[in-house]
Amino acid sequence: MRSSVITSTILHCVVLAWAILSISAPASFEVADVEALPVDIVPVEELTQTQQGAEKAEKKDVSAPIPTTRPQTVDNAQNIGDNDVDLKSAPTPITKPTNVEQAAAPEKVEKVQPKQDNETNDVKDVQQEQEVAASEPPPPQEVAKAEPVVKPEPKPEVTPEAKPEPEPAPEKPAEEALPTNVPVPEFKPKQAEAKPETKPVEKPPEKKAEEKPVDKKVEPTKTASIKSDSKSKDDKKKQETAKSKSSKESDFNADDISALLNKTDAKSSGAKRSTQTASLGTKKSNGGSKLSQSEMDALRGQIENNWSIVSGIDGAQGVTIKVTMRLDENGDIIGDPEVIASGGSDAARRTLEGSALRAIMKSRPFKGLPRDKYDAWSEVVVNFDPSQLL
Amino acid sequence: MEQVALEAATHDVSLLGLFMQAGFVVKLVMIGLLGASVWTWAIAIDKYVNFGRARRQFDQFEQVFWSGQSLEELYRTLSERQNHGLAAIFVSAMREWKKSFERGARSPIGLQMRIDRAMDVTLARESEHLIARLSSLATIGSAGPFVGLFGTVIGIMTSFQAIAGSKSTNLAVVAPGIAEALLATAIGLVAAIPAVIAYNKFSGDAGKLTARMEGFADEFSAILSRQIDEKLQPRAAAQ
Repeated sequence: MRSSVITSTILHCVVLAWAILSISAPASFEVADVEALPVDIVPVEELTQTQQGAEKAEKKDVSAPIPTTRPQTVDNAQNIGDNDVDLKSAPTPITKPTNVEQAAAPEKVEKVQPKQDNETNDVKDVQQEQEVAASEPPPPQEVAKAEPVVKPEPKPEVTPEAKPEPEPAPEKPAEEALPTNVPVPEFKPKQAEAKPETKPVEKPPEKKAEEKPVDKKVEPTKTASIKSDSKSKDDKKKQETAKSKSSKESDFNADDISALLNKTDAKSSGAKRSTQTASLGTKKSNGGSKLSQSEMDALRGQIENNWSIVSGIDGAQGVTIKVTMRLDENGDIIGDPEVIASGGSDAARRTLEGSALRAIMKSRPFKGLPRDKYDAWSEVVVNFDPSQLL
Repeated sequence: MEQVALEAATHDVSLLGLFMQAGFVVKLVMIGLLGASVWTWAIAIDKYVNFGRARRQFDQFEQVFWSGQSLEELYRTLSERQNHGLAAIFVSAMREWKKSFERGARSPIGLQMRIDRAMDVTLARESEHLIARLSSLATIGSAGPFVGLFGTVIGIMTSFQAIAGSKSTNLAVVAPGIAEALLATAIGLVAAIPAVIAYNKFSGDAGKLTARMEGFADEFSAILSRQIDEKLQPRAAAQ
């Protein structure tokens, strides 16, 4: 026995020694010295519902737009701005007028042609008409137009005419307007032969028939087209395009545009003036409106004041009434309010629904609802517990 | 208060540190439980060795006994030394037998009874020798956790008194006291668990060995009774 006691003691000593050596003090937890972290509960409305203010101003408790500069002109204006008209649109920054020169579109000679267009868009016809219109002009025109049609013939005819260049010149002075135009186009075209012929011939009749001053400016284009006349097919195409253009641009007038444009300055929306210093916010109030509890209670109170509840309805305990109604900006009800009762007995529900509806109809229009929060109460749900009104 | 907190914070939380900081009662409990643990293991080792030896001796003796060797001869060799177990029972029975015949006992019934009685006494002594100190194992096993718990309760009481004194519930003030108190329970469990296991094992072993001795005693009693009959019959016939 003694030996076993000694053995046991030795065993324990060994185990204890091992435990003392190995199971030393555990490493102490070194907690980093962190400052208290404040935690706020932020309703999501704070992020999604913004208030009108200045986009680049400092943040303040209450956001406010840039103060207005002009005196108030409109009574009961709701939207802040320098405008004379109370509009809801967000103010737009004033843009400096860019230096755009709007050249008046050249008035086309073809202006006249729309008349012709009405009938046909066919080149040949037009030409024929022109011919008819200018019936007075003698053979030269006929020759010019005959050229495209009958190729063999024109050559001999043209050449004789082209050669005597001096001839057109004397003609022009007599016809007044044309002199300047004629020489310029002449040089450009390579086929000198045809041009001299045509221009003198065609222009005189047209100008006489139509307005002369207009013609002068546009003449170059016409002359160009006339130049090409010598080559039949090209000519026709050009004429066609010219006519279609003219039909599209029918009555464009740059002067009219400026008159049509609304020149009112859209820099700011509303007519309500603000003197608050600008603070951070958005261009427009964005659903930041929510009926406060007191406003909601005021609405409920208006209905409850007009609500005469007959006491002693069996099973009225536990009836709750939910009223959904759409209101216009004056607080009046649009359409029929929806009254839903739940709980309680069937009869009590029906009775209370009816009395609630009467109370609502009696208390319209509702007063004291903030106009700027119309978004919030345009459709409003009010809950009642009639048992508390008994 | 600040100083107390600082002192508490510098507590030694190692095993030895916890023990040294513990209160007097808790220290006493811990030392007592440590002693109990030592005692438990001492008994366990002792029993293990003894039971193993006893089993070997039983086997040896049975082998010799059933080998056909003369019982007189076996008795002569065994009676000269101290015997345990089966050998002790055999020797006691043979001694009674010899005494009775040397004195010239006449009654076979009385002889049988005396031999049985002698064997019972020896068997009781031997079995008591086997289960000796097992009861202390049982005590340690059942009381150890309670003793440890007592130390823990005392320790926690003192540590709560310390909290009241320091007027601070800082964990640094509370923790060391609770840790040292819990150490008492831990030591109690360390002592009790092996004690319970050892008790169950060795009491079972002792039961088996005792049953084996009883079986041998009965068998030997039967053999001796046959011998008595054989020896007394010729005498009766001669008369």
